[in-house]
Amino acid sequence: MRVALFVACFNDLAFPATGRATVEVLERLGHEVVFPSAQTCCGQMHLNTGYRREALALARHFARVFTPFEAIVTPSASCAGTVVHSYADLVQDAGDAGLSSELAGLAGRVFELSQFLVDVLGVTDLGAEFPHRVAYHPTCHSLRALQVYRQPLELLRHVRGLHLVDLPGEEQCCGFGGTFSVKNPGVSMAMMADKLAAVQRSGAEVVCAVDNSCLAHIGGGADRLSAGVRVMHLAEVLASGAGGPVRAPGVARAAPGPLVHRGQPRP
Amino acid sequence: MSPTGAPGVPGPRGDGFRQAPAFPEAASRALRDTQLRANLRRATGTIRDKRDRVMAELGDLEQLRDAAAAIKDESLSRLGELLSQVEERVGAAGGRVHYAATSAEARAIVVDLVSRTGSTDVVKVKSMTTAEIELNEALAAAGVEVVETDLAELIVQLGDDLPSHIVVPALHRNRAEVREIFVRRMGERGLAAPAGLGDDPAELAAAARAHLRRRFLDAKVAISGANFVVAESGSVVVVESEGNGRMCLTLPHTLISVAGIDKVVPRFRDLEVFLQLLARSATGERMSPYTSVWTGATPGNGPSEFHLVLVDNGRTRALADPIGRQALRCIRCAACLNVCPVYERVGGRAYGSVYPGPIGAVLTPQLDGVASGRVEATLPFASTLCGACAEVCPVRIDIPRLLVHLRGRAVDEHRGAHPEPVAMVAAAYTMSSPRRFGRAVKLGGLVGKVLGRGRALAGLPGPAGRWASGRDLPQVGAQSFRDWWASERGGRSGTAPLPVAEPLQRGRGAGGPDGARTASGAVQLRQALAWLRPTMQQRAPGVARQVVLEGRDGVMGAISSALVSAPFVPVEVPRHYTHDAGAVAGELLALFVERVAEYRATARVVGGGDVGAAVAEALERTGSRRVIVPSDLPEAWLPPRATATAPAAVQRPPNGGVVFEVVVDDPGLGATELDGFDAAVSGCAVAIAATGTVVLDSGPAQGRRALSLVPDHLVLVVRQDQLVGGVPEAVARLVPTAAQTWVSGPSATSDIELQRVEGVHGPRVLDVLVLVGSGPGH
Repeated sequence: MRVALFVACFNDLAFPATGRATVEVLERLGHEVVFPSAQTCCGQMHLNTGYRREALALARHFARVFTPFEAIVTPSASCAGTVVHSYADLVQDAGDAGLSSELAGLAGRVFELSQFLVDVLGVTDLGAEFPHRVAYHPTCHSLRALQVYRQPLELLRHVRGLHLVDLPGEEQCCGFGGTFSVKNPGVSMAMMADKLAAVQRSGAEVVCAVDNSCLAHIGGGADRLSAGVRVMHLAEVLASGAGGPVRAPGVARAAPGPLVHRGQPRP
Repeated sequence: MSPTGAPGVPGPRGDGFRQAPAFPEAASRALRDTQLRANLRRATGTIRDKRDRVMAELGDLEQLRDAAAAIKDESLSRLGELLSQVEERVGAAGGRVHYAATSAEARAIVVDLVSRTGSTDVVKVKSMTTAEIELNEALAAAGVEVVETDLAELIVQLGDDLPSHIVVPALHRNRAEVREIFVRRMGERGLAAPAGLGDDPAELAAAARAHLRRRFLDAKVAISGANFVVAESGSVVVVESEGNGRMCLTLPHTLISVAGIDKVVPRFRDLEVFLQLLARSATGERMSPYTSVWTGATPGNGPSEFHLVLVDNGRTRALADPIGRQALRCIRCAACLNVCPVYERVGGRAYGSVYPGPIGAVLTPQLDGVASGRVEATLPFASTLCGACAEVCPVRIDIPRLLVHLRGRAVDEHRGAHPEPVAMVAAAYTMSSPRRFGRAVKLGGLVGKVLGRGRALAGLPGPAGRWASGRDLPQVGAQSFRDWWASERGGRSGTAPLPVAEPLQRGRGAGGPDGARTASGAVQLRQALAWLRPTMQQRAPGVARQVVLEGRDGVMGAISSALVSAPFVPVEVPRHYTHDAGAVAGELLALFVERVAEYRATARVVGGGDVGAAVAEALERTGSRRVIVPSDLPEAWLPPRATATAPAAVQRPPNGGVVFEVVVDDPGLGATELDGFDAAVSGCAVAIAATGTVVLDSGPAQGRRALSLVPDHLVLVVRQDQLVGGVPEAVARLVPTAAQTWVSGPSATSDIELQRVEGVHGPRVLDVLVLVGSGPGH
């Protein structure tokens, strides 16, 4: 399958390894990955901070760049959530019917990486090896906007050598919250401190998630405190180890069935 | 002259919140309060766990939430019509409805009503709406002494403090602090705390009972809020735990209830949805101990004079916003507070508003206007948008969406030459063009190299400094993803589909073709400025101000203009929840007994012939001697060898032993006389197995409401044919206008460290006898 990678602006600049790992994982499965280099930002930061006009322009740009593709995969759950759910409200409020229908068509083709692997491709074992104690932090947008939770866990359980530990209070927000982290830095860090404490209680050495923004916050705190914990995006864990090419049954040649989101619609 | 006519700051910034700092400052302060942090952590965690447990029992929770949201939307869409109905029904039932467009009007109305009674003492049930309109301050200024009777509100009032939670306002106080406040302040306001008062919550609750007892028995005027107002019957509903509410709602001569216009629901039947959701969401109980329902004035069975004050105070402003008005569905359960990670760290007072937490962050800016002050402007940003609130909201308010919507309004109000909007617009300008973005990413890499982990930024003003105050920056490498892609896969890039030079639409069409490679530096600068200009100059037009006239006309006019400008799409209320719990009789009975016992009440199944003996046993167990009964209580329900008589007759069983004095109620008996009885025995109208609730409706074998309230021990007799499975079946059996008391266990409080204490102002001991089979008892 030809898969368009939406790497997310944040990853492009600060976490290129996540982008490379995503490419590696998808190619390992025999898919063709393309990177539409005209892509920029989905507008999440603008939208969630109240800059609707600016977000609308970026949504329009996103639609233009990605409309030609059948499957758009991103290693950022919050960006996927923005495209899949928030755009609809934004565009509806702006009263742009044309863009609205364009984005509605697009929303069904945008997938967070683990969702794409597990729900669309039906793959859970990528042949990865990562011999470490790992805690999975379900980020709020993955958990609540996309209902992505069991997919990453399923993938992590199939990683050789990986010891998955329970994270107490896993569903609690880490405190990042986009511009919340700088508008209310004290509260943001109080939440992060509790998250870090939970990670330390879990005995994990690595915190894994599907959003590098949250991980930058948790990891930034862990590094500042020399907490002995590091953060790592799921894609990088999945790309680890020798892991020769792994092909999911029936995916390599035959065109897959229609792409559908199997998560539940937002309440 | 009453000072209440003076215009105050309208809106929900009541009480001491007027001088509150904006959220970021208040939150930083709250974060340093370690006692507060510990209390909040324990309290929110406890309520969350309890809520999850009782919600898991509801197989039809999602259907109930669908119905609740739809009923509230229907109410809002028919608001004017429903309020007129309330007015008519309340009036027909001997009460009076008053309309207040603003908080100042509401204060003036209530102060005037109180002063007409000639009383200078008022007992009050906890009410968010009266806090919102700053009623207590107005009454105090008019020389009226107001006593808050809810335990938590009493703690807050005696401590000259501010509430920190909607349902448990004294959440921020621990038992030692409560004890200290009681010892220091109770004496100034009435009966002093007993000598040697300890800090056990049960002891503290008993001190509150003693302190307020006389006040309740003597009160002439009471003020309450309302949880629901039923349009079709004009009934008002108040849900509470301690019995302080019932004291205020039934004993005084005059009752003034203050309700937001958003509290109206169309039908009595709608209560079957909300009464299943409210307590479960709020306190994690299946049903709060007491739900009172009454219609108009109820002379002989409650207040002879009843006033309902319907308050707008910004609600019609919210109603005019087709997105924001979802917040008016709120039933004030505070479930969103208990799951909010931000609230859990800072507590309610940091929100600077009567309504704290996620719902406060979307309600207060709408009631006040998002541009009305720093508090209102910063509240929508007091959230990480984690979405936990929307998951638990029983009326499905999409709080994250509302927060984002209000952030948009706050930004539009404050656009201008400030650093944030300029930076945001500059970022959007950069990101709207692949070429500009590519350059920015390169530049970002260089900047990242220079900054390293950014520790040097800590302490600098601005967002970078605030980030670096506790977090390192991610290690930004020299090679961005797009650079890597270009160097590794340059040949097979997927860029082709984009028409490179297509101009990007910029809202107002200010931008030119920005992808053109030929654009000179000057052209680019012009384009950049074109992007910025609207930000620098334009402010979004403010929401049109409603021209509010006074009283009824003002409120009704504002409602109809809101609904004309933003009409609702009519929807049928989906009622796919369970209507008939349908269990077989034996199972119902077992479930009922189990659920009653979980409230720490005593439940027993007795045969028809044994009921009198069972009543006697219950009375003996607690040593109750003086017993009052309604005049039509079946003879067989009396203790054996005791016949009810007029006051003062004493029955002595021939073998000696227990002595009961059973007295038949007489309308002439006042509250103080009733307080002289140890126990009351009463029948009921219907009982609910799923919630362990017994509903009294002042019908046969029950008498007036005060009987089941004032004596400290209550024995209720339920006939098996009165037992139903769930709340909807019970509601179907009730007459809306009958004065009702839904009893679920003894009176109770969890206001001190969330430790449940049975017995506050209402009966401290409850016995429920279920009568099965046939016999003289039936």
